[in-house]
Amino acid sequence: MQREELEHRAAIHAHLRGALAIPAGLLFGLAALGNEQVGPFRHDWVFLAGLAVLGGAYALIARAYRRHYGRVSPSGGEQLRSVVALVLAVALVYGGSLLLRSRAGFSLDLPVNPIAVTFAIVMLASYAIGRVLRPHHAAVYGMLLAAGALPVWHGEDPSNVALMLCGAAIIACGVLDHIAFTRAFPAPAVDG
Amino acid sequence: MAELDRLVHEPGRLAILTVLSSVADADFLFLQRATGLTKGNLSSHLSKLEDAGLVRIDKRFVRKKPQTTLTITDAGRERTARHWEQLEALREQAQAVSASQASQSARRSAASSRVRPA
Repeated sequence: MQREELEHRAAIHAHLRGALAIPAGLLFGLAALGNEQVGPFRHDWVFLAGLAVLGGAYALIARAYRRHYGRVSPSGGEQLRSVVALVLAVALVYGGSLLLRSRAGFSLDLPVNPIAVTFAIVMLASYAIGRVLRPHHAAVYGMLLAAGALPVWHGEDPSNVALMLCGAAIIACGVLDHIAFTRAFPAPAVDG
Repeated sequence: MAELDRLVHEPGRLAILTVLSSVADADFLFLQRATGLTKGNLSSHLSKLEDAGLVRIDKRFVRKKPQTTLTITDAGRERTARHWEQLEALREQAQAVSASQASQSARRSAASSRVRPA
């Protein structure tokens, strides 16, 4: 095994536990439905119940990963990279959305979907900073970026559509990440 | 050239130390998955590394379940890095010798093709 491959195992463990992305992606969908007040989601308690279910699912999946793949504490460098990625993410999504399309005086007011655009860029950057960027990330978030950047989003605020698209992208990448993760950590050998 | 570190050089132990050098700490299961070693092999290597002061093993109970946390020591980190540097230096030497031999062989065949009678 090469040195880089071994040193990279912790980064893969930290960033490619893709099954966790499924409840996270569904949360985006839940938020969009709650905003639109569609059907039962016009009641706040339905949203809160959905949140609790997704939170429970997330915790169970995290426990399953720990049980089958172990636990690792990231190095100081890795933690710093995560903090940098998070700060950049917040700044980019918030600032970028205001710049591209908002009621702010400095807004370019472009007919694009700012949340889809900025979210796609943030996800690609965070995978790159975590040193786990894969072709499927580029493909899925590239498509999200392209869809959001098309100048077709005239009229109403497209935020809820963006949330749905982002949720779908998160889930798609999550499934592929999990496949990559299980390949990186095959079943351990057994003593003869 | 300095002798290779025999304790660190063993592939299983080198893999263990290299993985641990990239994290703050890890548990036994993660290390087993990351290195592909069997439980028995991993335990045996970890004992040797702990005895040599390259790894620290912390065993405790968390919610009545045993948890083994492994951390590389400063000495372990230093010896691992030095070992990889030695391996890299050896690789570069081997590549230089191989390139030199290939070049000499090419010159010899060019020279022999010039003196061959028509």
